[in-house]
Amino acid sequence: MSEILIKNASVCDPAQGINCEAMDLCIRDGKIVESVSENAKVIDAGGRLAMAGGFDGHTHSAGKINVGRFINPNDARKNLVPGLSGQVARTEKTRAQVGYNTPNTYAIGYRYAKLGYTTICEAAIPLLAARHTHEEFKEIPILDKMGLSLFGSNWQVMEYIRDKEPEKLAAYIAWGLKASRGYGVKIVNPGGGEAWGWGKNVSGLYDPVPNFDVTPAEILMGLAEANERLQLPHSVHVHCNNLGKPGNYATTIETMKMFEKVKPSRDRQSLHVTHVQFNAYAGTSWRDFETGAPMVSDYVNGADHLTFDLGQVIFGPAVTMTADGPVEYANSRMLHEKWSNQDVELEDASGVVPLFYSPKSFVNAVQWAIGLELALLVKDPWKVMFTTDSPNGGSFVNYPEAFTYLMSAKKREQVISGFSQMALDRMVLPGIDRELDFYELAVMTRSTQSKIYSMPEKGNLKVGSDADIAIYDLIPGQVDPSAEHEKVKKAFSGTAYTLKDGEIVVKDGEIEATPKGRVYWVNAKVPETVDTAMQKDIDFKFKKYYTVSKSNYMVEDAYLTKPVEIDTEGVF
Amino acid sequence: MPVIKDAVCSLCGSLCDDITVTVEDNKITKIENACILGHSKFVGMFEHDRIETPMIRKEGELVPVSYEEAIEAAANILVNSRRTLSYGWCSTSCEAISKAIQLAEETGSIIDSTANVCHGPSALAAQEKGAPSATLGEIKNRADVLIFWGCNPVHAHPRHMSRYSSFSKGFFTEKGRKGRKMVVIDVRKTDTAKLADTYVEIDQGSDLLLITALRSIVNGHADVVPETVAGVSKAEVMELAETLKNAKFVCVFFGMGVTQSRSKYKNGDGVSSLISDLNQHTKAVMIGMRGHYNVTGFGQVATWETGFPMAIDFARGYPYYNPGETGANDVLVREEADAAIIAAADAGAHFPQKAVRHLAKIPVIQIDPYANPTTEIADVIIPAAVVGIEAEGTAYRMDAISLRMKKLIDSKFKTDEEIAKDLIAKVRELKRGA
Amino acid sequence: MQVVKLSLKKANKIPIEADNVNPDNFAGKTKEEIEAILVWYGNGQCPLGDLFNVEVEGSDSVENTKIVIEGDVSRVKRIGQDMSAGEIEINGNVDMHCGSNMRGGKITINGDADSWLGCEMKGGEITLNGNAAYYVGSGYRGESCGMRGGKITVNGDVKDYLGEHMCGGEILVKGNAGLLPAISNNGGTITIEGSATMPASEMKSGTVIIKGETSDLLPSYKEDGTEEVDGITYRKFVGDVNAGGKGVLLIK
Repeated sequence: MSEILIKNASVCDPAQGINCEAMDLCIRDGKIVESVSENAKVIDAGGRLAMAGGFDGHTHSAGKINVGRFINPNDARKNLVPGLSGQVARTEKTRAQVGYNTPNTYAIGYRYAKLGYTTICEAAIPLLAARHTHEEFKEIPILDKMGLSLFGSNWQVMEYIRDKEPEKLAAYIAWGLKASRGYGVKIVNPGGGEAWGWGKNVSGLYDPVPNFDVTPAEILMGLAEANERLQLPHSVHVHCNNLGKPGNYATTIETMKMFEKVKPSRDRQSLHVTHVQFNAYAGTSWRDFETGAPMVSDYVNGADHLTFDLGQVIFGPAVTMTADGPVEYANSRMLHEKWSNQDVELEDASGVVPLFYSPKSFVNAVQWAIGLELALLVKDPWKVMFTTDSPNGGSFVNYPEAFTYLMSAKKREQVISGFSQMALDRMVLPGIDRELDFYELAVMTRSTQSKIYSMPEKGNLKVGSDADIAIYDLIPGQVDPSAEHEKVKKAFSGTAYTLKDGEIVVKDGEIEATPKGRVYWVNAKVPETVDTAMQKDIDFKFKKYYTVSKSNYMVEDAYLTKPVEIDTEGVF
Repeated sequence: MPVIKDAVCSLCGSLCDDITVTVEDNKITKIENACILGHSKFVGMFEHDRIETPMIRKEGELVPVSYEEAIEAAANILVNSRRTLSYGWCSTSCEAISKAIQLAEETGSIIDSTANVCHGPSALAAQEKGAPSATLGEIKNRADVLIFWGCNPVHAHPRHMSRYSSFSKGFFTEKGRKGRKMVVIDVRKTDTAKLADTYVEIDQGSDLLLITALRSIVNGHADVVPETVAGVSKAEVMELAETLKNAKFVCVFFGMGVTQSRSKYKNGDGVSSLISDLNQHTKAVMIGMRGHYNVTGFGQVATWETGFPMAIDFARGYPYYNPGETGANDVLVREEADAAIIAAADAGAHFPQKAVRHLAKIPVIQIDPYANPTTEIADVIIPAAVVGIEAEGTAYRMDAISLRMKKLIDSKFKTDEEIAKDLIAKVRELKRGA
Repeated sequence: MQVVKLSLKKANKIPIEADNVNPDNFAGKTKEEIEAILVWYGNGQCPLGDLFNVEVEGSDSVENTKIVIEGDVSRVKRIGQDMSAGEIEINGNVDMHCGSNMRGGKITINGDADSWLGCEMKGGEITLNGNAAYYVGSGYRGESCGMRGGKITVNGDVKDYLGEHMCGGEILVKGNAGLLPAISNNGGTITIEGSATMPASEMKSGTVIIKGETSDLLPSYKEDGTEEVDGITYRKFVGDVNAGGKGVLLIK
């Protein structure tokens, strides 16, 4: 039995409505408890800010990121955020580290932990390549991990939707999650991945997918129905059609509206829209491009069925990586950049393209503003998950910098002062004076995640929750985040302590211990008759079209470190 | 008698996963579905020259020792070295590769794979331009135009054309070979070329000239192309460009004829650009025809663990990468390495003479199931189980899809993974002692 | 003026990484201080004084510091890396990465240089009185911008990939160049007085002049009349058309 008493912390835990109150936290055997014995090891927080461990609900940290590393060896030596990037020699406690946007697996674990993050959700697992994602998970130390499996351009999915077989569709989703050991349903540019199989794209929600006689709208509704039928812990997680195109805010709002009629099967949203910054563009071309954030925020403020994350842009080099194959090709041609592509048979597409966000580019400046506008114009922080869609909008190691944008209008003004008049004319950010406090920041970086992924043991400090805790070296009340944003950035860049399951993994910004984290996956129960009927269909797919055997497709137990199986009961 | 279905063949980068294996009395007695190469690996392993016991060279002679003694002797070499080269690690599992990387990190060594002498330039090309690719099933289900450039699957990847490419039938390609146009570009008429609809014979080392000409035509600049390029008439190049542009789905499979010819990685770089240009007109992808069954896996594991796919120098404690400086042959030809591990590969047979001469001068640790020319110059020899037959583990197909290889029979030998782990433990022990 | 003389105590096969050997790091330091500077040697570090004989005359600013290296240092990498001012003279062959990321000052090599001479250089001047290996003035793996400024003069031959990804500055090769000089460059000027093979592939902008024989001109250049430079008339080619390039390639 191991016990820890964290004394005199300034606790910020929105799940319990606690807003920077002086409290003690008790830990026994990795969980938060009511009280501990006198033998407990004592950590004196000295009035410093304590939150539940951070939870990155949408990051590209295992699988596709390897393509990013592979084509950008020059990223390894980039050291733009000292202490959280660049080449670091091995120590007795840590493996060697490299990189900035595409760090090696060890660096990902250590650096998230230094930021006080303890859980990450990989945003895209191709079913056929799922084993690879889990191989990387195994080598990411400290963090708990989960991933979202791709279904949005899958042949079997599209056929079941076209043929109106909702039960078999649900059975297939359950099987796909099991095969890939995934946590939820990810839909990227629905139908677009299949169109990209022929070098084409879909133009919107009602543009039929070539050869499959379904529309993106039907794919979305079909998958949402299956998702709720299986009572999955997370809603469908949607990367909308038309990403990255001026005028796409309309498609985004249309997608959101469509989900008004979807009834969630659990106490959570029925739709999560991801990296909305890339999908909140107004204008008709790059010439008259402008922010669409006010329109999107207006809609979100009046809706209560959805959540979203930002995809905030960080100036400097980034690497875009997405299952949205056609977008990456277009990026590479427009920017004259390297282009990697990996279409996955019967399932999806993907691409990787490095790019550079410059404050001198009016488009990039407006993109930067849109992310912040969304965060600040949407009134309820419980609808918002903070992300940079790392490393698409920028590397996660810049989160502390980004937090200062959210917490300090002065800091924003500093950045904005470098923009061109044209950029300023296309954004509304300069007129926004809202500044988030620590409580709202905690909501966007922990509490929302816990809620939208139905993970009650994560992202909060309730009795019974995992003792994943971040203590930051600042005393709320003695620091004015608006004026002293540099202090905030410094504190969030390296915790005083990060605890993972009650173990000190970071102390004074340095790695102390590197335990292995868990992997969460969802096993949704489906009636045997439905499952058998569905298996027949996929047996045919494997026999005729896949290039691997069905038995070799399933990710074996050997690939999961400390697996946690989340069971749900499908309703048929 | 146990029959194991869907076994993965650990021979070439095609990684066929539909092999049926019959085992009797811990012996493989029957193999179904494998090609002749795969078959010979599964059943021929007993006829090969297996290394039967760990050995240490004493006064010029190899003397049998225990695993413990061999591991200790090897670890002693490593801790006393200023610049160890750890080479090979491609005919083995990803799990073993991971441990080999950790060993290299802890000993400040250089680690490199067999890509150094085959598809290494493909990685350099991808680092210039990216790698627009697809899984093999995309080719099977969609491709109507295939180019085999500088590769000869008839001999090197015997089931490739039936399972994945020329002859395969898929969703949009029900007619199989009849519905496909097959082009072979090479410097000599190979057996693969004999099966092609179009064979384009080019001058040795002129790949980049032809690639550039194709790009110029595809991009609408046919006027800059001279009457003959790379030994091929402009008319023929124009026709090939039209075939590509008018296809529904193009795949360029490229081999060592492209990666190791005169312009090396600039050829792959050029093919990558050609693929990008072609996507302005149609759908096109490229796939490297990787040889060793898990050379792709080495690149994958090394990339997620160190940031780089090969030629990784841990001298300063963090990974540094610069092929041309940190590649296996670079440090051997320059006589930099003062010790070497050669694992699951045969440097003795495949390296240039100058590199082998240097290997003969320094302490060499060999980890391999089989005796080969490297054995002749090795000082410590550690026999290993055959991965994919006597040990399970992960391998990556040429299109970066990973599969789990099964253990089919028991073995008295340690696996590569266990050997690498033992070496790490012994190195730590010796360092602590020091 | 400060002059620091270095010579190797004994020949080495395992390279010494001399990224600390530059005027920026030596200026104002005594012999003892310089001898104590750590350099990488294989997988360990050694004081410079263990490997080199060190002599120091005077003490001065970076600008007024000159390092003279006597003898063969063909296994000493990174001499003059990152240097911003001052001078280095090498009387012997030198190993890889000499003058890499150099920002100012002057390096003179009286011998041959191994690969990556003046890579990603931003300013200053390198004169090589000998032959160079691969990647003179190039970018490192994966980078899209190599040499950006300064001047490299090679009074001998160079091997392949001269000035790859060059974005600015000037390279003059008095001898022959190998395969694919000026590949993927986007600015700057390269003059090759001898022969070259497959020059200027994918050049976006910049000027490449080849006074000797050009082999295997890539089929991605448009001929555009002639141009005279320093009294010599060249055939003028513009491209690379596949890179949408506006580069100028002048050949005989």
